[in-house]
Amino acid sequence: MSYDKPIPSKGTHTSPFWEGTKAGKLMLPRCEDCNRVHWYPRHICPFCHSMNLEWIEGSGEGTIHTYAVQHLVFSKWAKETPYVTAYIDLKEGDRMLTVLRGVDPEKPEEIRIGAPVRVEFEQADEDTFIPFWRVVEE
Amino acid sequence: MPGTLYKSAAIVGAAEANQIGFLDEPATSLQLHIEAIKNVSEQTGIPISSIEGVFSTGWSTELCEHLGITPKYIDTTAVGGCSFELHVHHAMAAIHAGIIDVALISHGENGHSANKIGGRSLNYARGAGDASPSHEMSTAYGLAAAPNHYAHAMVRHMHRYGNTREDYAHIAKVSRDWATLNPRAAMYSKEKHPFGGPITVEQVEDSRLITWPLTILHCCMVTDHGGAVLVCSPKVAASLNTKPVWIAGAGESMGHGNMLEMEDFTKTSARFSAEAAYTMAGLGPKDMEMALVYDSFTITAAITVEMLGLAAPGEGHLLWKDGRAAPGGSFPINTNGGGLSFNHSGMYGMPLLIEAYRQLSGTAEDGIHGDPRKQTSARTCVVNGTGGSLSTTGTLVLVADD
Repeated sequence: MSYDKPIPSKGTHTSPFWEGTKAGKLMLPRCEDCNRVHWYPRHICPFCHSMNLEWIEGSGEGTIHTYAVQHLVFSKWAKETPYVTAYIDLKEGDRMLTVLRGVDPEKPEEIRIGAPVRVEFEQADEDTFIPFWRVVEE
Repeated sequence: MPGTLYKSAAIVGAAEANQIGFLDEPATSLQLHIEAIKNVSEQTGIPISSIEGVFSTGWSTELCEHLGITPKYIDTTAVGGCSFELHVHHAMAAIHAGIIDVALISHGENGHSANKIGGRSLNYARGAGDASPSHEMSTAYGLAAAPNHYAHAMVRHMHRYGNTREDYAHIAKVSRDWATLNPRAAMYSKEKHPFGGPITVEQVEDSRLITWPLTILHCCMVTDHGGAVLVCSPKVAASLNTKPVWIAGAGESMGHGNMLEMEDFTKTSARFSAEAAYTMAGLGPKDMEMALVYDSFTITAAITVEMLGLAAPGEGHLLWKDGRAAPGGSFPINTNGGGLSFNHSGMYGMPLLIEAYRQLSGTAEDGIHGDPRKQTSARTCVVNGTGGSLSTTGTLVLVADD
């Protein structure tokens, strides 16, 4: 079945990220001056305001910062409810939003903040692989 | 004789984006903004982090989020091409008033590039269609409505402080109690609405799940509402027959636009806007006798009273659970029934102002907008509006006329 959920339209400065996803890589923007990774991708480092930004390959590892279980949404995601969304603390710093995999949406109390997660990618169309994160065994 | 604002501010630098004109490589409006800001920062030596006021014709949330700054003065006056001259005027006034020392007036508009990449937008900082970078990295996951987002803050707040969902349910229950004293409240009674009238904490807990842990009774309604207030000079106020309610303090701030950028899910920028309002008023939380806070969700109200200094971190819900916020309690909160049970049309800031006026002018118990027991004896009230995804806040300290 073809992917029918929302596919992001892409900006002018984020292609290294989307190219990376095709190769199974989580590319992250990092400031060459203060070395901090930020997410989402900026035109300027939000920490030190340098414009010397580079892309690095991230580890694809992180932990759950917080989460929620979606029972009422309006896009094509509606047919997948309930599903779990989460903010992921990246190992390299800063945070990503995702749909969390490997958890039971009917048992939200069993999902653990701080649990380790790993990124994976699902092909949505020719040019787009969407990152999702999955809870992994400790 | 010169006016009050005479020489009260000066333009100290001016710069443009790196490339302007008919660009070969398309740029987004956001990119044009950012380059110009970076350049004027370098020209003047004023760090971007020193910008206190942001004046633009549109979505300052995205602009400030992108720069990683939390301004204390925000003006998005958008009246066409002359907007930026108006911004200068407004910035002068804000500076003269001592609110800010450094104002940024910013513009970015990809009128040409938009033909190639879309996203032409006069007012917004956004670029290619929906693909502002924060939207681009969020849109795949299906979150649309406010509860989809706010629930993440609630889970983090529960986790951090060891609270249960039921703790927050008391906020919905007590707000409903207030609504039963307000004939204009949507949930005043069973006669008025099938789901109206008093509710129990158990009913709040057992109602339909929207986004776990938020059940529908943890969420505000979506109703119709219209309102207006008049703000006048002391001289005009003195000439009227209505009772004035004095604006003793005001403050504003912005933490983020997209929740992706909410650094601490248990805090909002109300801690900054409240500090500014209290400072201006020369009053503190202990001087407040009631509060009206935006309650888009129970969690919004809980976090907000913590930010306003009315409760310790993690203990906001206790104001309701202990009955202090309830009718007859020592510290009334959301005496109209709140967005949870009075009315909430989408933007609830106006009902907050109207109820504050009624309470502090002694007109909250007029039989139309309140039954006996709705009128409090409060002489001071802190009002806090929250916008976006726990993003932007405005705080007012209001006091009754002597």
